[in-house]
Amino acid sequence: MTTTTAPTTATEQATTLQKGYVGQSVPRKEDRRLVQGQGTFFDDVRRHGMGYVHFVRSPYAHARIVSIDVSEALALEGVYGTITGDEVAIHTDPFFEMSVEPGSRIKDYALAVGKVRHMGEPVAAVCAATRELARDAADLVQVEYEPLDVVVDGEEALKDEVVLHDDAGSNVVWQGVFDWGDVDQALAEADHVVKIKKLHFHRFSSTPLECAGALVEYDKGTGEWTIHCNHQMPGVGAIWMAPALRTGIDRLRFVTQDIGGAFGNKICLHPQFVVLCLLARKLGRPVQWTEWRTDQHTANAHGNERTFLDVEVAVRSDGTMTGFKVKALDDCGAFPRYEPLGCIIWAQVTPGCYAWRNIRVDFTQVCTNKSPVSPNRGYSRMQHLWLTERIVDIVAAELGLDPVEVRKKNYVKAEQMPYETPNGCVYDSGDYARCLDLALELIGHDTIEERRAEAKGRGKLLGLGIGSTLDSGTNNFGQSQLLNPELQFSGNNEAATVKLDIFGEVVVTLGTVPQGQGHETTAAQVVADIIGCTPDQVNVRRGHDTWFNSSAGFSGTYASQFAFTGLGAVKGAAELLRDEMIKLASIVFGVPEDAVELADAQARLKENHEAAIPFMGLGAIVNANNAFLPPDFNPTLNHRYVCRPIFGVVDKEAKKGKLTLTYATQIHACVVEIDEETGEVEIVDYAAVDDCGIRINPQIVEGQVHGATAHAIGAVLHETFAYDEDGTLLTSNFYDYHVPHALDMPTLKTGAIESPSPVAPLGAKGMGEGGGGGIHCVCSAIQDALRPAGGAIVYDSHNPNHRVWEMLRDPEATRANVEVVSK
Amino acid sequence: MRVEGTKELDAPRAVVWTVLNDPAQMAALMPGVESFQVSDERHWQAKVKIPLGLGGLKMTIDFEKLEETPPEFASLQAKGTGVGALLNMTTEFRLSEAGEKTSMAWAADVRIAGPVGSMGQRVLQPIVNQQVGNVLGALDAQVQKAKAAGS
Repeated sequence: MTTTTAPTTATEQATTLQKGYVGQSVPRKEDRRLVQGQGTFFDDVRRHGMGYVHFVRSPYAHARIVSIDVSEALALEGVYGTITGDEVAIHTDPFFEMSVEPGSRIKDYALAVGKVRHMGEPVAAVCAATRELARDAADLVQVEYEPLDVVVDGEEALKDEVVLHDDAGSNVVWQGVFDWGDVDQALAEADHVVKIKKLHFHRFSSTPLECAGALVEYDKGTGEWTIHCNHQMPGVGAIWMAPALRTGIDRLRFVTQDIGGAFGNKICLHPQFVVLCLLARKLGRPVQWTEWRTDQHTANAHGNERTFLDVEVAVRSDGTMTGFKVKALDDCGAFPRYEPLGCIIWAQVTPGCYAWRNIRVDFTQVCTNKSPVSPNRGYSRMQHLWLTERIVDIVAAELGLDPVEVRKKNYVKAEQMPYETPNGCVYDSGDYARCLDLALELIGHDTIEERRAEAKGRGKLLGLGIGSTLDSGTNNFGQSQLLNPELQFSGNNEAATVKLDIFGEVVVTLGTVPQGQGHETTAAQVVADIIGCTPDQVNVRRGHDTWFNSSAGFSGTYASQFAFTGLGAVKGAAELLRDEMIKLASIVFGVPEDAVELADAQARLKENHEAAIPFMGLGAIVNANNAFLPPDFNPTLNHRYVCRPIFGVVDKEAKKGKLTLTYATQIHACVVEIDEETGEVEIVDYAAVDDCGIRINPQIVEGQVHGATAHAIGAVLHETFAYDEDGTLLTSNFYDYHVPHALDMPTLKTGAIESPSPVAPLGAKGMGEGGGGGIHCVCSAIQDALRPAGGAIVYDSHNPNHRVWEMLRDPEATRANVEVVSK
Repeated sequence: MRVEGTKELDAPRAVVWTVLNDPAQMAALMPGVESFQVSDERHWQAKVKIPLGLGGLKMTIDFEKLEETPPEFASLQAKGTGVGALLNMTTEFRLSEAGEKTSMAWAADVRIAGPVGSMGQRVLQPIVNQQVGNVLGALDAQVQKAKAAGS
């Protein structure tokens, strides 16, 4: 692996951050326990008398439930009980829907009620003495179905010939037009209009190492549930669950410890958890559910599938693109669980990395008989950014322009930062062209033509691809009001506490729910710098307990925002603690506060380091020896801070506003070789250049870049959730759904620049999602490689060997998708 | 999945028709039948164990004769339920005389839903082909047996 670190400041923007431990690749505090197998996951939690739950799932994609007979299962020795949709309908209310009509009329219960709408939908649950017995007993539950016609294609779903939700009366969840600038004028004034009939972003997902699950306890005396789980956003989970369970939010205590990855998949676990809560109450015993891998594939959460229709791009003769319009059709599967938020989240990155000023997106979301979707690494923006990158490459190819030059000509320039997009978002900082140069340098762009000729001699078609992508971070929930003006969500917040204990231990609790991102490490780095100790002296408590960790309404780990909100909260709390420690020391020393500094885990006089009080001394004074303190000074050495990013309100009419605050850049470049006979694609060179502002811990950033790249390469070449016409998922296991192995991964060359964010507390931007840069990049390279073989247009985000082979054999079929009208 | 073909059987059409329309003889043709119960002349039920990986897939299959035009044509629907699988099959055959022999054109539309349908797609086609071969071989033997018994 090659790491190229460019000059650390790529723009003139200033940051107030002084680097100490921040900026260093401090070894991750979490890794010792994890690599030694000492992590504690929800599945490690055991309770006396607990029962194990297995869900009875629909084999049909669409069917009416005629009857459910659980008697045989109940008769089995060791079976504690069952629950069906009928009971759920009595004891709970449907989850609230965020959409306007018709989507708002959808009734979504924790178990199927009356009808199943996707293969794998839970229709009942069985609880038994062992996990295996629960599974065997579930097989004895007799469910009689009356199969219904199935719709698995978004465009077909629009016709409403098969309607999933009778209450809604339509498959449309949400529809709206976003119109910024004047795209009609841009198209009228363009020298060329490039038209693309259809592009398709396929259905795939992340596959966390740890499947979903929970152990749920019910306290009959208080009516409270404790949910030991791996939910990644429990605050929002509780907002869904509590009203459905007809209880208060504080009666749902979520406890997480280590979590083995989530990627957004673990945001929408409320249906399963409600079933567990009902079972725990019904049976009077703790119940535990660990999702099977096949169930995770079949019915947990997929990423949004999106089809782009009737794209028209306005291009000037010099290659400047002035705007585009598109109809976007999003397929959210059977239920809009987190949706329709995906209908707006993409707008955080409306013009991608480019300076398009005129954009119209006619957006529709529909239900189909497939697994519901949930946020998935790069949620909703990835699909849109893939569109923008496809547009750029197709425009370049059709007009005979250099894709590198087209990008550089159209990129938002470093000197334009901060840059306001046509829909009111502000790109805070960045230098896309510089990142592209670095990426091209890493893959030896200047030798591409020689390598192309050499590969040709070996029967290989060589292509260069670029993926320019943004990772928008720090979500403004006000964007939901652009979908439904009645929603009372806006802004964002995150909490943390930092305290100094009686023995001088620095203890941090987070509002976030880390799943492997190294929050314990980076939080410790920030605190250490502020209060003058080492990260090892800072104990960041593992996991999250909603009863004991400080949290805010939007707490969680999602949307690439920990670097801003999570660490912003830590920084705020640590600064409050620092100020109080200094004041305390100044009283003890009898000197002004500005004569005291914190360093080496002590408060000491700046002018005389021998005069020092160790942290333990400060903690002891406040907690155990405070009688001598003046009456008007009541220190706690225990501080909570809520980081509330300032977005302002969104303009619901114009559909504009600051939808996110930070924009990390990822520019990927790769070289692929395609076997002319078989269509087999091999990535022979790959570079990823990241600019996430100040890197709190470069090694963790590097790890995120690697992970996001692997996800993207898996998606573009291997991973797809394919359904047959009956709605049967054909890739429900790791044999058919091939996640890239180490041997599938190219050697990654990485580079970085740092354009500090002028708005983020630490100058750091969230960057973990990666924006799908690898998908865009490999699609781009495949199209470049196919150029001499008929010039096929890459029209799908998923390009396994057989599709590439088809494009080789019949390039015209793809070229019919594109038309150029020149004036 | 649709499978179809033709098979020449060395027996008169009437003999073949009799074999194909006698539930007991039909049961003998099917692979892995553990029990067979006739409800009436148009409905019968079989409990079968389909060889599919480890242990086989146990299913209860309900048959319904949909249509028949003796001695030429019949169509049949089969609905099976088992752990992790649902079977839906419609099948038909058409018999025509070929001198002293009988030519049978047959077709079946087989659909398997549920996890087995999901996971078994790669192996389903060869298994179906294998079972079709077994059924046709057994039919041949059964027809010869009937022919011998009648002669």
